[in-house]
Amino acid sequence: MVLEFFRSGEDQLEALNAEVLDMLASCRHTFDAAINTVLGGTAPEAVGKDIRKTDRSINKAERRIRRALIVHASTRGAAADIGSILVLMSITKDIERVGDYAKNIWDLADNGVDMTTDDDVEQLRKQRDAVSRLITDASQIFSTQDVDAAHATIQAADDLMDEFDAEIAQLVTTDAPGSHAVPRALLYRYLKRITAHLMNVLSAVVMPVDRLDYYDEDKADRV
Amino acid sequence: MHDVSDDTQARNIPSGVRLLFVVGLLYLFLVGVKALETSINGFGSGFTEGVLEGVQNPVAGLFAGILVTVLVQSSSVSTSLIVAAVGNGTIPVELAVPMIMGANIGTTVTNTLASLGSMRRTNEFRRAFAGATMHDFFNLMAVAVFLPLELATKFLSTSATALAQFVTGTTDLSQISNPDSFIKTAVKAPISLIEGGIEAVVSSGRIQAAILLAVGLGCIFFALATITRNMRLVMAGRIERSLNAVLGKGGGLSAIVIGILITVSVQSSSITTSMLVPMVAAGVLTLRNAYPVTLGANVGTTVTALIASFAAERPEALVIALVHLLFNISGILGFYPIRWIRDIPVRMAEKLADIAVRNRVIVALYVAGTFVVLPLVGILVAQ
Repeated sequence: MVLEFFRSGEDQLEALNAEVLDMLASCRHTFDAAINTVLGGTAPEAVGKDIRKTDRSINKAERRIRRALIVHASTRGAAADIGSILVLMSITKDIERVGDYAKNIWDLADNGVDMTTDDDVEQLRKQRDAVSRLITDASQIFSTQDVDAAHATIQAADDLMDEFDAEIAQLVTTDAPGSHAVPRALLYRYLKRITAHLMNVLSAVVMPVDRLDYYDEDKADRV
Repeated sequence: MHDVSDDTQARNIPSGVRLLFVVGLLYLFLVGVKALETSINGFGSGFTEGVLEGVQNPVAGLFAGILVTVLVQSSSVSTSLIVAAVGNGTIPVELAVPMIMGANIGTTVTNTLASLGSMRRTNEFRRAFAGATMHDFFNLMAVAVFLPLELATKFLSTSATALAQFVTGTTDLSQISNPDSFIKTAVKAPISLIEGGIEAVVSSGRIQAAILLAVGLGCIFFALATITRNMRLVMAGRIERSLNAVLGKGGGLSAIVIGILITVSVQSSSITTSMLVPMVAAGVLTLRNAYPVTLGANVGTTVTALIASFAAERPEALVIALVHLLFNISGILGFYPIRWIRDIPVRMAEKLADIAVRNRVIVALYVAGTFVVLPLVGILVAQ
């Protein structure tokens, strides 16, 4: 512990940013594992323990980052990087929520939902891949702070959200049985929320701090 | 006020330049101590007798130590003043010991005031106030035990004298009062210049002494404040990393050492203990993990008086600086190893915090009473 004082190393906020990237990597791992129990034929019990363990590690990382931010603010006083503190407080919550929704997807499979033989599975798999890729892109863009890439990815994610909204709207009025419509509506809802939280992470690259959750609202409600 | 760019600039200064800057400030600090020492002589024997009379009673000395530290908001400054007064023979070591102990109590006011920032949020304030006042209670407890013991046995001053003899390698301390030593010669040179300048414009000896006193105090305040501000920026990353380690791995001896290292590097125990208050308030640092860091801060802050003693004329200055160090080490050795004794200040602080959140008037009464009214009344009664 004492050696920490003498160790010269990276800036603590840089270390926390690296921890955010680790959280996002864990989120992608959890998401991929969870959604493949619904769309990929993985048995839920085969990955359940790993998903819960990874989700706990995401939650712990969130708390660790918050503690470190309080230490940063306390030790630096007026020289503390307030913007980074607020951004990290906000996006770690979003990333933690991505982990939670991934767990909710696994819960669907645990409750018996299996879409691997359904007609729309290929479309769902494409949407799965798009969200999974979005997690990696969000991580990459947050790491490089590439504003152009952030704008482009936010636009693509926004389109994805519209797609999920349309699917949910269609499922609300479908004549299909509940065993078909309800799991899909829930899955699309989870995919939409995951996408929205990832857009919040991306908004940290392009938006001022006061507008961090700008993309969390429906388009008509964004001000 | 600092901003991030200040921080970046501070980091971008080459370490050699930074070192020279801090050495320059330490030199200015020593010049300030020397100016104080010289100015006291200038006030004449009547002044010295008056000071002596004022602190003849150890209780008055203790309260004077508290009051002066509260007024200057820095035990580093007040202990440097005491070292200067001992260094020129105005106050003997035995009368300065209670003053040094008082400075230890007085310095705790800063983090207690820092805790008031959380007053609007009850739970946060309970933790913040307890986190701040456990330092008060520890230091009060240390004085309650070690002041009577020192008065009865002189164990601190005797040990400090022996330690001074050991570190200087001589059994006759007067030998280390070499007026031609490098540091003393270097420190005296600007004092002669300043004295010459003052004498050229003012004829009265007492006014000359008063101006020199103001110059000395100004140098000490400026040097310590600038060292603290600069070192806090420079050391921020290390401080952050080590405090994160305290959060992760808990308290104990390592946390005491971290408290010492942080305080030595920023030259202010108030900074160290005030940093802990928001962490305790937020609940990320437990009282019991913050506690050893606070005790380390008590020890770390003694380095300022040790540095000040380099500029002093008489060897007793080193002795009183070592008394400060030994007193704080004794506090840790006496109270920290045994759990139920160690917990007394924490439990008292928790109890006071519980009362304080129910009745906020208690907070004002406690702060004003402990740090202003009691010392003032104490000085008047003791005299």
